[in-house]
Amino acid sequence: MPIFSYLAIPKKDARKTLCEELSTLEHCQIIPADNQDVVVLVTDTPDDHIEKKLQHTLKSLPSLQSLSLAFGYNEKLE
Amino acid sequence: MMKTNTNQSRGAPLSLLAVSLLLPLATLLGVAATATGGEVPDNFDNQGKKLFTAQQQTPTGNLNADSGGRTLAKFYALRQYPGSPPRIPHVVDLTFSGNETDCLSCHGKGGYSAEFNAFAPVTPHPENILCTQCHAQIQTQEPFVETDWVSIAPPKLGLSFLGSSPPPIPHTLQLRENCIACHTGPGAVVEIRIDHASRGDCRQCHAAVSQSQPLTEFTRK
Amino acid sequence: MKLDRREFIKQAAIGSALATAGSLFPGISFGSWNRLAGGPGVLAWQKTPCRFCGTGCGLLVGVSDGRAVAVKGDPNCTVNKGLCCMKGYHSVQALYGRDRITTAKVRKNGTLVEVPISEALDLVAEKLKQTRDTYGKDSVAMYGSGQWTIPDGYVASKLFKGCLGTNNVEANARLCMASAVTGFMTSFGLDEPMGCYEDIDHADVFVTWGNNMAEMHPVLFSRMLSSRKRRAGVKIIDFATRFTRTSQAADKSIIFKPQTDLAVANAICYEIIKNNWVNDNFVTTHVSFHKGKTNIGYGTEDHFTFTDSAETIDYEAFKLFLEDYTPEKVEKISGVPAEEIKYLASLYGNPSLKVTSFWCMGMNQHTRGTWINNLVYNIHLLVGKISTPGNSPFSLTGQPSACGTVREVGTLTHKLPHGVVMNEHDRQMAAEIWQVSVENIDPKPSYHTVEMFRALDRGDIKFIWIQVTNPMVTMPNLRRYRDGALKDDRFVVVSDVYPTPTTDVADVILPAAMWIEQEGMFGNSERRTQHFAQIVDPPGEAMSDTWQIIEVAKRLGFEKQFPWSQDNYIEPIWEEYRRFHAGPTHEMAPYTVLAERSGVQWPFVNGRETRWRYNPAYDPACNNGKDFDFYGKKDNRAWIWARPYEPPAESPDEDYNFWLNTGRVIEHWHTGSMTRRVPVLHNAVPSSYVEIHPEDAADLGVVNGDLVKIISRRGELTMPAQINGRGVPVRGMVFVPFFDESYLINEVTLDAFCPISKQPDYKKCAVRLEKA
Repeated sequence: MPIFSYLAIPKKDARKTLCEELSTLEHCQIIPADNQDVVVLVTDTPDDHIEKKLQHTLKSLPSLQSLSLAFGYNEKLE
Repeated sequence: MMKTNTNQSRGAPLSLLAVSLLLPLATLLGVAATATGGEVPDNFDNQGKKLFTAQQQTPTGNLNADSGGRTLAKFYALRQYPGSPPRIPHVVDLTFSGNETDCLSCHGKGGYSAEFNAFAPVTPHPENILCTQCHAQIQTQEPFVETDWVSIAPPKLGLSFLGSSPPPIPHTLQLRENCIACHTGPGAVVEIRIDHASRGDCRQCHAAVSQSQPLTEFTRK
Repeated sequence: MKLDRREFIKQAAIGSALATAGSLFPGISFGSWNRLAGGPGVLAWQKTPCRFCGTGCGLLVGVSDGRAVAVKGDPNCTVNKGLCCMKGYHSVQALYGRDRITTAKVRKNGTLVEVPISEALDLVAEKLKQTRDTYGKDSVAMYGSGQWTIPDGYVASKLFKGCLGTNNVEANARLCMASAVTGFMTSFGLDEPMGCYEDIDHADVFVTWGNNMAEMHPVLFSRMLSSRKRRAGVKIIDFATRFTRTSQAADKSIIFKPQTDLAVANAICYEIIKNNWVNDNFVTTHVSFHKGKTNIGYGTEDHFTFTDSAETIDYEAFKLFLEDYTPEKVEKISGVPAEEIKYLASLYGNPSLKVTSFWCMGMNQHTRGTWINNLVYNIHLLVGKISTPGNSPFSLTGQPSACGTVREVGTLTHKLPHGVVMNEHDRQMAAEIWQVSVENIDPKPSYHTVEMFRALDRGDIKFIWIQVTNPMVTMPNLRRYRDGALKDDRFVVVSDVYPTPTTDVADVILPAAMWIEQEGMFGNSERRTQHFAQIVDPPGEAMSDTWQIIEVAKRLGFEKQFPWSQDNYIEPIWEEYRRFHAGPTHEMAPYTVLAERSGVQWPFVNGRETRWRYNPAYDPACNNGKDFDFYGKKDNRAWIWARPYEPPAESPDEDYNFWLNTGRVIEHWHTGSMTRRVPVLHNAVPSSYVEIHPEDAADLGVVNGDLVKIISRRGELTMPAQINGRGVPVRGMVFVPFFDESYLINEVTLDAFCPISKQPDYKKCAVRLEKA
């Protein structure tokens, strides 16, 4: 049951689109910054399979410039 | 229903205590209040003057300092129910210096105690100098007989009515009129410590909404 | 338990990401992430001024799914720098009360029936026309308030004064700000404060004149407290008739007997002159001395009229006038010890101290309201402590756009957007901009507010349209005016957002859009114009007050004057209105600038805001080459007025032995029709009460919560006593908050007013008490 948090940077002028796209995805929660083009993304998936699928989806988002990992947790690792 | 009842009972023992404690003070201030154009009476609006005085007199450094040493768990462990006078958690030689008000040498204004390696919590009511009237020194952890006493849940934190809105004051203000004493400084409980006391008037944003009363909606009569 | 743990880890994940973001992007802000995370959709934050008091705090309203869901202080707004008060933080909840008026209602056979809004507007236009045709142009009236947006007030004035040719336009601000206006006009020739809130960061001494700022202007009050905390030696002196939260926080509290502030202010001037604290250079260059009429009456009778006349006097005559006001003599009138008067004078007189005076309703709701405003300016002028940072006589306002809409647009009977109806040039300017014939604008003012409701009672006015205010709670001597409004052939239209005692007397109720459900502008106490976009949709058929007026204007055949489309009307209205104020003394910012910023202060000249007027270092309108230029008066000077102490209209006597004082609490705003629908505010103060001094309560035999009957010559009211609660009146006085429509204290108050400003005195009348 992995939980990850990232800093998501949108492509130029695509912040709104990115927010909209991310918030429609399942298992995703976003916190857009008020004053900069940065979005905190938290993913909370039930298992590794879904996690992999989600990561694949994220990588294919056209509005997303980069995704950098800030925090990772997976129950199995404990 | 259960919760409402127990919450209400929380206030009762306190008010009994308060009568005996506050009487001499109130009488004194009552005289001051009638002087023409003179002193501001202190004993109204939950003795709000204490709050303003404390805010003005506490150095900014002390208002903002944080030791992280006290937690809510430790705080409630010393109380029988939320709002009860906490027991004294350390050894006190009650004859020390032959003067009981010496509690206030640490708990009056707070500060670091080398003896306990901790910052002393500040009392919100330093005008009541007979501390052991309410605060008991524990001699033994063994009960006389087992008890069926059940406490109630403490007030929840962060009960804002709106996202981002200031939470209302969840407890009664009797004997806890001075917000600065418990909610700021290095002796404050970390979960309820705030770092914006320099703003000066807590009740500008935090409304007193007693949790012992069910919330009602406004309806036109 | 497992869920909790997972939630905990998730919070840690968020925290860690925020910390990373903070180190990578300095200054990044995530608002209130911890409360709002997980809400539906994207949260957008949009700027607006607060809906409530005249402070004009900048808010950011969080919007999710088309609903306002959160508020935070706007850090870019210099008014409040990111902090609000409890009303501001919960303000958006006032949009969502369950009994919101969403459809129009028309009274048919005594009961209100829902109708489509277009049908209601048809009826309003038809009745207005019919009444005007039958009874003349002055039989119809418009009554608004400082809660009107600037466009609301502007179109109201244009329709009534410009098109219909009646000066029957008044606003609740008459009950609230009129004495401040006449004070400014008589002392400086131009309305509104010379200073700004930044004075709070510079002043060494603050004197609050009958002004409980801790509850009424809390954001400015805490700014004052933190200014005192930050800088050594700063003092707050509370000069009041009652002990309040402000007295608690003040370094010194001085209590005076009601109405005697007049005498104390003169005594302060006496002391300043006696001790040679006068700033001679300033007085010689920038001040002239005057006196007006005395024994000027109280306006309690119908058709009362009064016109002051100014007579120029010299400095010696002014000194002679002050001989009656030695501290020792004034001690006898005011109950303030001579020592304390001398102390106050020494603070104003000390050349090394910067002094700011604050006041609001205590001085304005006063049968000599204009005079006491003049007298406080006298003090500041004698010592030259004015128009420089920290030296400021500062008149605060109570409503969000009392300045912006009522005072600047001029929604009072004698006013035009620029100048007054009596002035031919001002009428010509209005006629030209409004595209009406100049003969259409009546050169004679008609009814001020109290007289307007008296005229409604008498039948001189038959049709009245009331927008954004609640006179059936706020009018003094209320019963007469409610009975008047209910008379058979009176037609009352009320535009509002919730049912109130005023909608109860309405023949037509129009559902109004509220605050951020429409685009608009407010103007706050420091000459700051604040624009807000429409942020959420109004419910049901609710429509902005501006557009309601435009709809009726079009139905009356004034398409030429009201040509705008519903898609875009605020911007063209603003740009048309702005023409009235062109020029360096009152230039307003263009629409595009207003839309971008969290408020802009006028005069706005060459892209620069003016923080201190009459001071050439800040004010582009100064052009006399001297250190100050009081350009409002023809003699280029600020006027000091010899104004005596005169007693109030009614004082306690043997039959009615208590003072009645009325006012507010921090939780509720005005008549509570909005704040009572905010759960936290309602729960904190669910109903009104009467504050009694503990010893008076003991004499009366009442304890906290006992019912007390308050009886005056006009009416009576029974309500619970509060002892040692929020405030403590002095012995012989009771205080009642007026927000509660279940306890209409204004049935007890007196409709005496200041003869110059026509503003009633809600702070003083005589009552007796009985245990109920």
